[in-house]
Parts: sequence; C-alpha cells; structure tokens
Amino acid sequence: MQKTILVVDDEEDIRESVKMILEVNGYRVIEAVDGDDCLRKVREEKPDLILLDIMMPGTPVSEVVKQIKDIKIAFMSVVRISDARKKGLCAQDNIVDFFQKPFSVSDLIERIELILRE
Amino acid sequence: MDIKKFSFKNLFLSRISRKLTLLFLIVGLIAPSLAIFYFYTISVSTLPESIPAEQSILLRTVAVVIILLIAVDAGIIGYLVSRSISKPLKELYRATKEVEKGNYNVRLDIHTGDEIEELSQAFNRTTEALAKIEEERREIDNAKTEFLSITSHELRSPMTPMKAQLQMLQEGYFGKLSKKQRESLAIVIRNADRLDNIIVDFLEISRIEAARLKFNFRKTDIAQTVEETVKLMEASAKEKNIKLVVHLDKLPVIEADPDRVSQVLRNLIHNAIKFSDENSKIEVSAELKDDHILFSVRDYGCGLTPENQIRIFEPFYQVESASRRRHGGTGLGLAICRGIVESQKGKIWVESKLGKGSKFYFTLPLKPVRNIEPIKILFSQKGLIEKKIKEEFKTMLGPLGVGEFNELKNKNALNKNDLFEYIEYLTNEHILQPENEIVFKNRINKIFGEKKEVINEKKDTFNRFINEEGLKRD
Repeated sequence: MQKTILVVDDEEDIRESVKMILEVNGYRVIEAVDGDDCLRKVREEKPDLILLDIMMPGTPVSEVVKQIKDIKIAFMSVVRISDARKKGLCAQDNIVDFFQKPFSVSDLIERIELILRE
Repeated sequence: MDIKKFSFKNLFLSRISRKLTLLFLIVGLIAPSLAIFYFYTISVSTLPESIPAEQSILLRTVAVVIILLIAVDAGIIGYLVSRSISKPLKELYRATKEVEKGNYNVRLDIHTGDEIEELSQAFNRTTEALAKIEEERREIDNAKTEFLSITSHELRSPMTPMKAQLQMLQEGYFGKLSKKQRESLAIVIRNADRLDNIIVDFLEISRIEAARLKFNFRKTDIAQTVEETVKLMEASAKEKNIKLVVHLDKLPVIEADPDRVSQVLRNLIHNAIKFSDENSKIEVSAELKDDHILFSVRDYGCGLTPENQIRIFEPFYQVESASRRRHGGTGLGLAICRGIVESQKGKIWVESKLGKGSKFYFTLPLKPVRNIEPIKILFSQKGLIEKKIKEEFKTMLGPLGVGEFNELKNKNALNKNDLFEYIEYLTNEHILQPENEIVFKNRINKIFGEKKEVINEKKDTFNRFINEEGLKRD
C-alpha cells in the first residue's frame, strides 16, 4: 500500500526537492509550510510519516510536536541532533529519526524505508 | 626611556609622612620652646631672689608642660597635614598600578582641594577614556564573531536544496547522463561539498570564538570512545593499506563530551592517514595522568619542519607537499581541534622529525570545565604576538632592542624556545642582569599566554642596568 509522507519546511526549494525524491521512490507527498499548517494538514489526513523542519516561523516546533503523539515524526534540520536533544525535542516516543541538513539523498531514502517498514 | 631605580614606593611615600611630620614637630617646637625658655630665664633672673622654691618649681613645670603640649599639637597637626599629601599620592600610586594591570575601571575620590585633587581628576578622565576605548574594542570583536556566525548560517541554507538536486541528477532521477555530463556534475558536487565544509568549519570557529561551543557533557567511557572512533576511520585507512593500532590504559568513566573527543581524534587520524605512506601504521593511544588524560596519534609519515610544527595550528595553514592531492581540506581542522581542546582547558601540540613522522598530543582534564571561555582563533595571533614581543625588547633592552628583535625575526627565531635561548645568552654575556632574566622570561611567557614562574613579587618590576656596550658588539 502506498505510504503518505507529510513534508513540513518553510523553504519551498527544500519542500520541492524532498517531494521529488520521495515521489520518484514511490511515496505520496503532502506539503506544509510551517507548524500551524502541519497541524491543519494532519487533522485533514493522517500521514504515515512527518518530515519536520525545526527552524520555522510561527508556533514553535516543540509545541507542534506535543500535539502529535500518534504519527511517526522524523526531524530534518540544520540544527544538530545534540542541540535538538538539549532543547528536549527528541523526548517523545514517536520521534523516530533525525536527518541533518544538507542530507544525502540515498541515505534519506534508505532510512525512510526502514522507518516505514514496521 | 628613563626609569630610575624603582624604589619610589619605599623611599618616598611611606617616608614623606614621617619627614613632614618631623619637620612640623621641629618647627612647631623650636619657636615656642625658645620663647618659653627665654621667658623662663628672664623671669628667673628678674624676679627677686626670695622666690619661694615651690613657685620656681611650678614655673618650671608649667614651662615644661606648655612645651610638651605644643610638641604634641605640632606633631598631630604635622602628621595630619603630611597625610593630606601622602595619602592621596598613595591612592594615586595604587590606582596607577591597577591601570597597569589593565583594569581601567579605577576612579580616584580625592577632595584635598589642591593640585593633587586636580591631578586625580585628570587621572579619572584618562582612565574613563581608556575604559571607553576598551569597550569599543570588545564590541567590535563581538560584532566580528556575530557576523561570522550569521553569514555562516545564511550560507548553509541554500546548500540543502542545491546538494539534494545535484545528488538527484547524479543518481539518475532526471534521466541517464552522458559521460561529459557525469564528469561535469562530479566537479560541481565535489566543490559544493568543499564549500559546505568550509562553511561548517567557519561556524565551528565562530562558536569557539564566542564560547558558544556546545558541549554535551555526560558519563563517557573514554576507552570505548577511542575504539569506536578508530573503527570509523578504518575504512579510509584501508584505502592506503594503513594499519591503525590502539594502545589504551585502564581509563576511567568520566564526565566528558564524547562527540568532541571523537571529533578531535578523527581529525588527527585523518591527517595522519593523509601524510602517511602506503603500508605504514598509525598508533593511537590514551594514557591516564594525574589530572588529565593524554591522547596521542603517531604516524610514520613525512614529518614536519620546525616551522610547520608551529604553524599548522594556524587557521587555513596547510602544509605544502609535492604529492598533495585535492583533498578538499579547508586548513581549519587543526585550528578547530585547538579551539575544542583549549575551550576545555586542555592542551594540544605536536612533536615531529622531518622524514621520521609526527606525534600529535592533546589532553583532556578529568573534571570537565563548566565555564567555557572564548578562544581567539581567527582574529588575533602571529602579528599581534610579534608586536608584543617587539615592545618587550624595547622595554628590556632600550632602543637597541629593536635591532635585536629584527635580527631574531629574520632568523625566524621568535618562538618561545628561541627567545629564551637568546635571553639566556644575553645573561651569560652579562648584557642582561640575572634578576632581569627572570622578568624578561616572565613577560615573554605572558605574551604566549602562560603562567609565570613564581618569583619574589616585589622584584617583578625591574632594574634596568644593562651593559649597552655589550649590545653594540656586532
């Protein structure tokens, strides 16, 4: 069954690129431009995975994450994972991975496949 | 520069009170004493012989008491007046000492209503101006670091979509590529990576300079960290068939940031691999010392010239070598290692022999440092140090010191060891006084940022008695 991934990033070029990569690899992609948009899209349709940027305008990501407990989330950010951990962002159980930007395309696909296999 | 024998403090200030007091005492005593003595003699000689004994004793007693009273008052007044001069002078001296140490926040609070008060006001205006200049300098420094940090962050953002698209192109997402297209793409990707690495390094350096370096201290098994790091580097070592050998002491579990330790080790091993020949070996070790852990990475490669040994920790400095491929290095790796190690109050250095190999050492204190201090990497160094050394030469050796400094500079002998050798030579030739040898060395130590040898505090100021004839030898 085709999996759906929600890509959340305030930069269009990044959304576009990630969307291309995922679609070529057989995933269906929904986009959101910030934390609030992400929450809206999640209410409309429940994706299998959310790729979430950290530095975005609007509601801080920490707040957004608190409101999503039942969908797998993987962060995708320039922020380093050690800094994110310090800010307490990685505490929830549904946070499954952390992609450091700029990421490697093949690495991204591999790890997403692993996440969605279970 | 004319510095007289510097016992100003002892000679002048503590005795000026005594001198003036004594002066007042004497002056205060002489006139009335003479008067009383004169009065006494006159009255005794003009009075009739039949003065009763008690009266003459009484007269004498009164005379003596009056003299004593005058003496005491004169003494008190004298002391108070002299104190009104010597006390503010002492304060001025103390304040000047503070300024010498670099503390410009001293202000004098003198209200003697005379020229000394005016002097203290002029002093206050001067230190205010100095403090303002210092503040401006600090602001400029901070602005530089902020600028670096902001531009680095802004520069990183376009990297993500750029590298993603390039990778997609390369992996055939948009169709098959011709050979020329693939080659062209390879060049673009390689340089995009290079650019990204430079930006990351710049960010690191700006963090080190601002002491915003983030350390994640946690309970760390150092031995495990070393082993894991070496395992990570085995792949690239295998490319040149280089063997990675690990020697580990029994190491404790300490509070440290394993990612940072790994980062420094990886950089050192990466360099060792780069400069080793094929089929050689690299030895990585960690020893437990009393208050720190000593790490070392030893290679049997081409080694470093003495100049390179000093300069490789400079940012952007890369060793020139005939067989240097395009590694894409930024020349910032060791500078960043230095920043990481020194932020934690450790030390990093190298011992090397040209043609034989190099051994890089760094230390990690057993107790983590909670206050991370900013370390200047980019915006100070060689030029500033040379200027300071030149100033010291002028101070210690007078105008001839400049000539000596330039000679040493041409011979590239401005590192600490060469300077010490030179100072010892001057002492042996009796050009420099023995007590000045220690002072000179301490000041050089201070420039290179190290603790002084403990000497008699009072003798830290120096006596400039050098044999100028001796210096004019060549």
